[in-house]
Amino acid sequence: MIKILFQMIFQLVRNIHTSFACRAAESSLLAKLRKKTGYTIANCKKALEMHNNDSEKAETWLNEQAQAMGWAKATKLAGRKASQGLVAVKFDKQHGALVELNCETDFVAKNEKFHKMLEDATLACYKMAHTSLHSKGPITKMELDSEQLGNISVEGKKLSEILALFIGSVGENAILRRAECWKANSKDVKITAYTHPAPPTPSDYSCGKYGALLAYKQPTDLDDVGKQICQHIVGCAPKKIGDKEKDKPIENTDDEICLIYQEYLLDPSYTIQEVLEQNKVEIVDFVRFSCGESDEANLPGVEKQPLETVQTLQ
Amino acid sequence: MTGSLIFRCIISSLTPKFPSKTNLLRSSRLTTGILNGSCNYCTKVKSKAVEKKHCNVGTIGHVDHGKTTLTAAITKVLSKDGFAKYVSYDEIDRAPEEKARGITINAAHVGYSTKNRHYAHTDCPGHADYIRNMISGASQMDAAIVVVAANDGPMPQTKEHLLLAKQVGIKYVLVYINKVDIVDNELVELVEIEMREMLTDYGFEGLTAPIIHGSALAALKDDQTEIGVPSIMKLLDTMDNYIPPIIRDLESPFLLPIDNAFTVPGRGTVVVGTIKRGVMKKNDEAELMGFGYNIKTTLSDIQIFRKSVPEALAGDNVGVLLRGMKLRNVETGMIVSAAKSLSLSNHYKGKVYFLSHSEGGRKKPVFSKYTQQMFSGTWNIACRIDLEPSMEMLMPGDHADVLLTLLEGMVMVKGQQFTIRENNVTVATGIITDTMQSVNVPDRKLGKVVINTK
Repeated sequence: MIKILFQMIFQLVRNIHTSFACRAAESSLLAKLRKKTGYTIANCKKALEMHNNDSEKAETWLNEQAQAMGWAKATKLAGRKASQGLVAVKFDKQHGALVELNCETDFVAKNEKFHKMLEDATLACYKMAHTSLHSKGPITKMELDSEQLGNISVEGKKLSEILALFIGSVGENAILRRAECWKANSKDVKITAYTHPAPPTPSDYSCGKYGALLAYKQPTDLDDVGKQICQHIVGCAPKKIGDKEKDKPIENTDDEICLIYQEYLLDPSYTIQEVLEQNKVEIVDFVRFSCGESDEANLPGVEKQPLETVQTLQ
Repeated sequence: MTGSLIFRCIISSLTPKFPSKTNLLRSSRLTTGILNGSCNYCTKVKSKAVEKKHCNVGTIGHVDHGKTTLTAAITKVLSKDGFAKYVSYDEIDRAPEEKARGITINAAHVGYSTKNRHYAHTDCPGHADYIRNMISGASQMDAAIVVVAANDGPMPQTKEHLLLAKQVGIKYVLVYINKVDIVDNELVELVEIEMREMLTDYGFEGLTAPIIHGSALAALKDDQTEIGVPSIMKLLDTMDNYIPPIIRDLESPFLLPIDNAFTVPGRGTVVVGTIKRGVMKKNDEAELMGFGYNIKTTLSDIQIFRKSVPEALAGDNVGVLLRGMKLRNVETGMIVSAAKSLSLSNHYKGKVYFLSHSEGGRKKPVFSKYTQQMFSGTWNIACRIDLEPSMEMLMPGDHADVLLTLLEGMVMVKGQQFTIRENNVTVATGIITDTMQSVNVPDRKLGKVVINTK
């Protein structure tokens, strides 16, 4: 009698054991698929169920679906505010590209997927500066808004499609905010760029919270000050170059918006104009992006308050 | 037959455990005996090691995984017992508008208590936001609750969340797997496995970290099944038990920052302040340090509210008579410390946050050799800031690790806060992270100091 009871228990134990093993195998399949593809757990499970636990087929299906799911997610999240992110530059002596990519939290902006996305977009704009710009004047500039940026193709795929995939994977809204593509049309016009924070080693690609492109002329026999002036533009945020005849310097130098009248950031005893004259530099044009600024401009809230209304403990 | 075999196996596998258990019991009794004995010797120290009934926790996680819903659910569940005021989802969501100390605090703060503790709960919106709140002392986390939705699992940015927790020194991480009602158990298990792996990868105790399954939304709707309200109760119980209490630091050598000083003719100088850590005993050897001075002295009398006491503990406000000290040697901002426990230095490592222009900070960036007045505690002194070589400049709104060089040697401890002011305006706040070897200041000019940045 006791023996029979024990046998029953044994059977029971074995049943539990086998079913557990089976389930473990399924979950490990799921775990593997998830680790390999990075799609959400629910989607991985659905894929496995649809393909009788054939992980290869499931993976193919997931990749096929990713674009559609990405679009769905992107559409769903489209209205959400995205003012974090990064600005990236890519340049050589004759060409430059400046791109801003926004997301919702800066955690995402630290992720390598985000960096890859931004680099892809910047390289696409940089290539476009080489191929699609017509020569006219000293430099050709092209400003791109969100929509135009999305329509650029990289290896047969639109940037907006790549962005939708990215949104599907991180589950946060992201916006290719704006871009500038520049091309110098004559040999004596040089292009340089700067981002803050600057990369540890000089590089033709970098990204940060702020970025600027600068086109200038300078005789080759003098020390190149392009990068320093570009750094000044990032640091001091001038609104325009300024004209000696038309614009007058204002009293408080801290509020100066004309580049030529600003104090030189690296040596405040000179103004930019003096630095330009000393080094025989002529500034053709510049553009500066501060990450999230275009979003803030449209928002009511703290950032737009005049300084006097902000209370500090002093 | 097989049945009895198994039975025997079980018995045999169990038997050796019993003696070991009793052994354990005996030995633990022994250790408690020793502890009891030792307690008799150190009279006040152990018994007064009071539990600070306050704890700072924060939620981190993906934007859609239900951090805010969880916070709202916690307050709702606790509000029934009168331990919290119910804060609705919308109220928490609106909180980022709040401003304090001139620095925008982009985080929601909610307070609640359990039977044992009071919690201050921070919702952590972003990396940079959290770091600057930490530097300015607006929020601090002792433990973090990672919220992850069961249907999505950990996201690509979840590792960035854990990195932040690591970076700000959080040791205790709990995981709340949310939305378990919309997937089956198998998936929840998988999420749990992945989270444990990830925690281990980032140096947390992945295998032992408490993981609680539930649905914050269900709890908010007053669902009494396992995933609803009870899951929140379980989370709170786990928080009470898993996060150790913060104990007042009575073990370290004593430290007393001086708020005020006056002289008692014929006896010496009395310095007044609140003991920051340790125990001060009458006739202890001490050192008076700050502004480049380091003077040896003895605590000849300690008074709390004008009553002479043999010893005083961290947190007590005391007046201490320093033997043979001249009043002109004492300056507000100096410290009295146990002999040979601390040393003066004029060179420190710190983390600073430069206020953005809209917060009343600078408009232009700063570079290495930036020199302004530093304020900390009750003193201020000229200070030079040097950036790491990889940083070319710091924009207002940035935070960074920097080297600080003071005009004269001061005592600063790790975690001490300071602010930098320029033309009577606060432009930066920071905390000390490390003490470095003092550097020479030629001709009392900070601009001439050669900083070795490696």
